[in-house]
Amino acid sequence: MDPQSLIDATRFPAVPAPFWFIQFFKVLGFTLHAVPMNLWYAGVVLAMVLRAAGPEHGKRFAGRLMAQMPVVVAYGVNLGIVPLLFVQVAYFKVFYPATILTAWFWFAIVVLLIPAYYGVYAYAWGLRDGGRGMTPRKRVGGWLAAVLFVALGLLFANGFSLMTNVEAWPDLWWSTNVGGAALGTATNAGDPSLWPRWLMMFGLALTTTAAWVVVDAAWFGRSESPEYQRWAPEFAWKLYTAGLAWFAVAGTWYVLGTWSADVWNVMVRGPLIVLTVLTAVAPGLPWLLLYRARRSETGPSRPAASLIGLAQFGVLGINAVSRQIVQNVELLPHLDVAGQRTEVQWSPMAMFLLTFVAGLGLIAWMIGRVVAASGGTTVQD
Amino acid sequence: MHYPWWYVPHLTAPMLIAVVSVVHVLVAHYAVGGGFFLAMEVGHAYRTGDRDYLAYLKRHGRFFILLTVVFGAITGVGIWWTIGLASPLATEVLIRTFVFGWATEWVFFVIELTAAFIFYYYWGRLAEATHLAIGWIYALAAWISLVLITGITAFMLNPGRWLQTPDFWVGFFNPQFVWQVIARTGGALLLSSLYVYLHASLALKEARLRDLIASRSARPALLGSVLITIGGIGWYAFLPPSAKAVLASAGVLNVLVGLIFALTAIVFVLLYLGPYRNPGWLSPGFAGALCLFGIAAFSTGEFIREAVRKPYVIYNVVLGNQIFPQEIDGLRVRGYLEGGTWTKAYVKRFLKEQYPQLDPKIVDTERDRIDESHLLDLDPQGRIALGHVVFQYHCNDCHAARRGYSPAGPLLRGRPPELTEAMIRHLDEAHFFMPRWAGTEPEVKLLAAYLREIAPPRPEGLYPTKTVREAD
Repeated sequence: MDPQSLIDATRFPAVPAPFWFIQFFKVLGFTLHAVPMNLWYAGVVLAMVLRAAGPEHGKRFAGRLMAQMPVVVAYGVNLGIVPLLFVQVAYFKVFYPATILTAWFWFAIVVLLIPAYYGVYAYAWGLRDGGRGMTPRKRVGGWLAAVLFVALGLLFANGFSLMTNVEAWPDLWWSTNVGGAALGTATNAGDPSLWPRWLMMFGLALTTTAAWVVVDAAWFGRSESPEYQRWAPEFAWKLYTAGLAWFAVAGTWYVLGTWSADVWNVMVRGPLIVLTVLTAVAPGLPWLLLYRARRSETGPSRPAASLIGLAQFGVLGINAVSRQIVQNVELLPHLDVAGQRTEVQWSPMAMFLLTFVAGLGLIAWMIGRVVAASGGTTVQD
Repeated sequence: MHYPWWYVPHLTAPMLIAVVSVVHVLVAHYAVGGGFFLAMEVGHAYRTGDRDYLAYLKRHGRFFILLTVVFGAITGVGIWWTIGLASPLATEVLIRTFVFGWATEWVFFVIELTAAFIFYYYWGRLAEATHLAIGWIYALAAWISLVLITGITAFMLNPGRWLQTPDFWVGFFNPQFVWQVIARTGGALLLSSLYVYLHASLALKEARLRDLIASRSARPALLGSVLITIGGIGWYAFLPPSAKAVLASAGVLNVLVGLIFALTAIVFVLLYLGPYRNPGWLSPGFAGALCLFGIAAFSTGEFIREAVRKPYVIYNVVLGNQIFPQEIDGLRVRGYLEGGTWTKAYVKRFLKEQYPQLDPKIVDTERDRIDESHLLDLDPQGRIALGHVVFQYHCNDCHAARRGYSPAGPLLRGRPPELTEAMIRHLDEAHFFMPRWAGTEPEVKLLAAYLREIAPPRPEGLYPTKTVREAD
């Protein structure tokens, strides 16, 4: 069966926004989503390990992170809406079939996210009053969340890797169909890119968690002891190094082991090699900044921590850009996403952009009230 | 057709949407009405200096965050997840039409989230006026998100002039829009009061506070009931004629409409007699019963709202079986199996693997066409197998096969083959709420063969019995 025959070729509806606009918001949305998502993906499991067997300050950091996690997860879920919306605008011809073939696993993301989130809340409550409220059930809640978040990462990678692995659709569908309908039990486990992508994202998530250690200590953890402030950048640098090594190994596996000749030609043999090299070396900047931050006797300063946070945001952004280009190249033999007809909805787009700007202003005002009420510093609840 | 069909045994995939939607809506309306409750009541507590009431409201705020930010938000995303799986074509059309409506709604979600967290986590640390302002920002943002999503969901029931003028604003301000906004606003006010009563009756021991909450929340609840009634009347008035006819003709909907009126009346009377006139009645049992009646009325209403669109998912735009109505004429000539991306791929592979001797005869590889006229050359098993494919892609959106939700087999129990075939040919004439048959004559035979396979025989013992009828 020709995989191409499974992509609807009977109609070519117009896309309601310019392609660059869709790409921009898809990448921006994913980058914004990646920050909290990285913190729960690697951060929760790290926090649980540190709480169980870490050093004193490690336990302290883990407690801080888990106390923040309810808010982190809320924003992560919320910011995930943006890329999910725009992927459906331009990639619908491949997005829907891939998710329907794996429907139960895709649907499981929603089902599993609920206990994971409540597990986070349970653990965070257990941490109140110096952890006196921690019960075995709440501890189980924390571990459950840790395991589920890692599993959720795999389920996401399963759906999205199948979106570009069109070649695998015929056999996956045929082996799981009931009267031609998809039973929704297919997995993309046979795709060699699935595992390195999942692992690579975990490595990246470790580096984001490491950057957060310093940002948190500088901005939200000023009431912590001087020892903690000195410990934070030291630990963050070690964690970042470990994450970087993980990312490098999984990334090398992904690039050398799974990239097709087409992707290789675009990302390595063309002018985009600059982007590929930048994507590979970008984590070096926050790593160096963390290395430098270790020297401070009083812990990370706010400007230094902000710079590290921004650099890590840049790392996530450049990864998202590269991933987007690779995704488009992988799809090109089947679907030219950039070549779709557009009929721009100008006035609804203007409404969105105006609301977006006004909304950011309103949020800034609310945060400003909080900062003012906290005497110039934001306070942990 | 354009996308693979997701086969959910027994339940059918669209029913999964109904389950997730109803569960979400019960929390989502509280997320809106609860915002108004907290903003109004915190303002009242600040004005009167009632510290005990403020302490209770903070406790309620935690319950509110836990239910709305976690369960409400995730099930909301869950609806999106489910509609993409169960109604991909309809979802694609909705997203292409309203992407900026959804994107704007997302902005209000971010505002809601930020305001909710600041309102709760910075309780007591912000100036009262600021705290209150943030409470109102939450409430208004939540209400605007209700308005935005209602524009899209109301469009599904009656797109109005959009069919002639496919413009965002024409679709958004559809004939159902205002009425559904009124009904949903009322629903948010009513349902949030019922949640508040339940929470207060369980969490509060102090009679003074329970009475205060009972009497203060009764007015928005009664107002909500009135708005639901007004919105409901408008909703009915602006239903497409076929939707009104579905309401009148479907037995189960008749019962449900009666049920919703009865439940709403019960809630209204209980609210009036209880919290409004006798606040002291607010015990956990009374509040629990009130909440259950309200939830039952709401769930029934949502189910009816979904059901009256039949046979469409988006009225006159996308049919339940995931095709456009304007495609039907072509499919009746070319064939349903031939016309669908996934059905055609299935037939080609099926014939190649199972019937290699017939494959060259049926599949014209040069023109990449299935010759429908030769489909009946298949043996009975082959016909049943391809009839099953037609069933999955044409019927399974509303009917399970042998058992489950509205199962086709038991519905056709004992029906003679010629009647089954006639019914297939005239689906929309036999039942106006079913889609028009979109296949060829050979496909009628294939589907009929499959339906005969899954339909049980006529029950024994009915008079006149088969023997008597045959004797006649």
